[in-house]
Amino acid sequence: MKILVPMKRVADPDNANKVKISPDGTKVTSEGLEAKPNPFDEYAVETALRILEDGVGSGNLRGEVVVVTVGGDDTVRQVRQCLAMGADRGIIVQGDDDALDSTIVANVLAKIVEKEQPNLIIAGKQAVDGDSNQVAQALAEILGWPQATFAGKVEVPQDLSSATVTREVDGGAAKVKVQLPAVISVDLRIVSPTGVQNNVAAGKDYQDGPRYASLKGIMKAKKKKVDTMTIADLGVDQTLKVRSVSFTAPPQRSAGVIVETVEELVAKLRDEAKVL
Amino acid sequence: MELKRLDNDDLLTILGTLNDFAERELPFDKRTKWDEEDICPEDIVKTMLSEDVGLHLVFIPEEYGGLGGGAYDVYRLSCEFAKKDVGVATSMLAVALGTDPIRVGCTPEQKEKWMTRIAEEGLIVAYGVTEPEAGSNVESLKTKAERIIDENGNITHYKLNGVKQFISNGGIANLYTILAKAPDGPTFFVVERETEGIEPGKQEEKHGIRLSNTTQVILEDCIIPAENIVGTKEGQGIKHSNEVFGFTRLMVAAFGLGGGLSALEKAIAYSKERKQFGDYLYKKQGYTHKLIVPNAVRLAAAQAYIEYVAGLLDSSEEDRQIEGSVAKFFSTESGNKAAEDAIQAHGGYGYCKEYEVEKIKRDVRILTIYEGTSEIQQNIIGVFRMRQVVKGKGKFLVNMAEGLEGNDTVNGTLAAKAAAFLDAAAYAAFKNKLSREQHIIFELATSIAEVETAIQLCKAAAEGDDKLKQAEARIWAAEVAVSAPTRMLKAFKQSGKVSDELMKELSIKADIAGSIDAQSGVLEDMNLVAELLVQD
Ligand SMILES: Cc1cc2nc3c(=O)[nH]c(=O)nc-3n(C[C@H](O)[C@H](O)[C@H](O)COP(=O)(O)OP(=O)(O)OC[C@H]3O[C@@H](n4cnc5c(N)ncnc54)[C@H](O)[C@@H]3O)c2cc1C
Ligand SMILES: Cc1cc2nc3c(=O)[nH]c(=O)nc-3n(C[C@H](O)[C@H](O)[C@H](O)COP(=O)(O)OP(=O)(O)OC[C@H]3O[C@@H](n4cnc5c(N)ncnc54)[C@H](O)[C@@H]3O)c2cc1C
Repeated sequence: MKILVPMKRVADPDNANKVKISPDGTKVTSEGLEAKPNPFDEYAVETALRILEDGVGSGNLRGEVVVVTVGGDDTVRQVRQCLAMGADRGIIVQGDDDALDSTIVANVLAKIVEKEQPNLIIAGKQAVDGDSNQVAQALAEILGWPQATFAGKVEVPQDLSSATVTREVDGGAAKVKVQLPAVISVDLRIVSPTGVQNNVAAGKDYQDGPRYASLKGIMKAKKKKVDTMTIADLGVDQTLKVRSVSFTAPPQRSAGVIVETVEELVAKLRDEAKVL
Repeated sequence: MELKRLDNDDLLTILGTLNDFAERELPFDKRTKWDEEDICPEDIVKTMLSEDVGLHLVFIPEEYGGLGGGAYDVYRLSCEFAKKDVGVATSMLAVALGTDPIRVGCTPEQKEKWMTRIAEEGLIVAYGVTEPEAGSNVESLKTKAERIIDENGNITHYKLNGVKQFISNGGIANLYTILAKAPDGPTFFVVERETEGIEPGKQEEKHGIRLSNTTQVILEDCIIPAENIVGTKEGQGIKHSNEVFGFTRLMVAAFGLGGGLSALEKAIAYSKERKQFGDYLYKKQGYTHKLIVPNAVRLAAAQAYIEYVAGLLDSSEEDRQIEGSVAKFFSTESGNKAAEDAIQAHGGYGYCKEYEVEKIKRDVRILTIYEGTSEIQQNIIGVFRMRQVVKGKGKFLVNMAEGLEGNDTVNGTLAAKAAAFLDAAAYAAFKNKLSREQHIIFELATSIAEVETAIQLCKAAAEGDDKLKQAEARIWAAEVAVSAPTRMLKAFKQSGKVSDELMKELSIKADIAGSIDAQSGVLEDMNLVAELLVQD
């Protein structure tokens, strides 16, 4: 059993307010901000590990978890972080973030699938920077594989032949069963203590949230293989289908004013805000 | 020069793990509650040392299952940890301290046994040196280790009796390294918690770091196998405890820096949201130049010095006791001051709990006390640096300041001048037997710490193109060029033991008027620092 997890590097989402727009307005830059694996992709790594583990938190996998990223050279740190969590191997397909769109990424991943022949692809539901929410779906389409998106719960039988995926919908939950190979995209709930049921590691619950890149894992990750290749190596057409025309920052919120009296408030609402 | 350091990517990943760990396990509301209720979150300490996290592996050598990080790595980890919570960080410090006698004193076989267990089982370790009557003066310890001898005359066991005071992790440890007096002198022993005859006392009710467990540890006919001695012979304990100071004091220095920086960051953030007299507090020069900028400057100096010491420790085997003392003394005092000022900067809200600076202030307060009080550090710095100056025939600090003369980007000339003066002052103190006055030694130590940190900050700032650091270096060099000579001349005069002639000679060397002349531009630099600090 082999699970492929695509991972995108993003600017630290805790500092999202510090992202800037380039002077010409065509790009969002996150210079000086710390880079992290996209949180939903960390959940995907966690999901893959939980599916393959033979006991809760055992780290013994019944197969291989391969992390693949499309991005700059320096994404190696985020890939290693996933390896420190317990993934087995990494692949970096070099590409400049500005010269990528969801279609190119999905096509690159399809080529990797061709090479790696995974049984399952688990992706984050979306990247927290671009919020495109397209790669998993496009990839399933290209591969002709079944897809189950926004998984909040995944259950697999012991023989890993299929996956039953639950997603939250308005006022309830929708359950779908897919035969493997398949593409699953995951939502936050997947990393709740009972988000993944693999019918092997029964009895004990996981902690809430993805596991840490433990220091022991960081040590082990040093010995794990990370292959690097280029988009051209894979023969993928690099013409952008989507081009960003311009970005605008949300309007600056102006400071509030404190009014002394009700009369003043009414006057301001009428004359300045013009809501009365 | 090859540095013993972790790969930078690995270090950053580790700091990321620390961050994730603190975010999840140590959120503000929980820490506030534990602080109020005086609770050490033992489970979280266990998680920190478990396979799932394992922060202690940074300071355990690779051959025993750790990462074998250097002083720089330990400094970075300690500084970041202290920004989260000095109490929980202290728990990690105690593990490091407790492991240290094993690291420096044990045979390879003993290390294989203990270190591997600490690394892999995530044992909570405690360092048992202090006693009710042996604090700063460790050598007055009373805890005894009696030999138990078999019929062939071999030592098979030791029997320990005594009381250890203020032991961090005392009530939650699995393993203790205990300093006790054996027939041949003070010796470290490793004692497992399960051993009969070792019991923690009740938790101390502390002013700060209330998330850290501190207790007495009582040894009553505690019999341990002879092989639990650290090393192969008795009497090495004081040597072992002295050998690790460069390293452990650097850790506490890093706590001072981290604690101070988090207080400062909170004050800066507050000044950007609080309006009084029609405008934000950060726009008021009196406010920034009293409560923000001087702390940023001192913490920058502390950081430069810590990084300098880490570099020394990572590039040679030599322990750096004096430098470790300067780092600890200066950085923890600066951290204290920054936290104190952060309360002031928050006005009445700083005095209450919700902005956290009140807790930070209580937490960092321990740092000038444990691991050798500030006064003990001053003694070490004053006495031993003075001896080095004498050995160098009146030259030590000038050598350290080499290359700064003439560098106006960082006010290097002023730092170099202060260095030359302090060399002369230290030499004069020795020659005139003033070092018998502890007051003079302490004033000398304070001045040395100021000038050496200025030298290192100037050097660090001269290397890159960091405008903030350069302005901070200029401010600090200008400050100490006046404060250090003024303090020393005053102390010399106070002693009544310095001839008019020597006073005159030293005054000329001090050239305080010249240094005052060089102050123009400092206010502008303070404006610049304030401006850069409030920028995102
Ligand atoms: C929260 C906490 C945690 C601790 N953790 C540990 C631990 O894990 N393991 C451990 O072994 N110890 C630990 N300690 C003990 C700590 O290291 C001692 O408290 C410290 O060394 C000071 O000793 P003392 O408290 O006996 O003070 P004293 O030595 O009695 O000092 C009292 C005052 O006199 C000053 N003084 C002492 N000697 C001189 C001198 N020669 N010249 C001038 N002034 C002097 C001191 O600077 C201080 O201001 C801890 C203490 C605390 C409070
Ligand atoms: C325990 C306690 C008891 C109190 N009791 C009473 C009481 O009984 N009755 C009552 O009326 N009030 C009381 N107060 C309120 C107290 O007087 C105010 O907290 C105090 O005046 C400071 O105001 P502030 O807290 O809003 O701080 P701020 O005014 O916001 O000040 C924050 C910081 O900015 C500085 N600052 C403010 N303006 C300037 C400026 N122009 N230039 C430079 N720096 C500036 C301040 O010095 C301070 O360091 C109490 C407060 C406390 C904490």
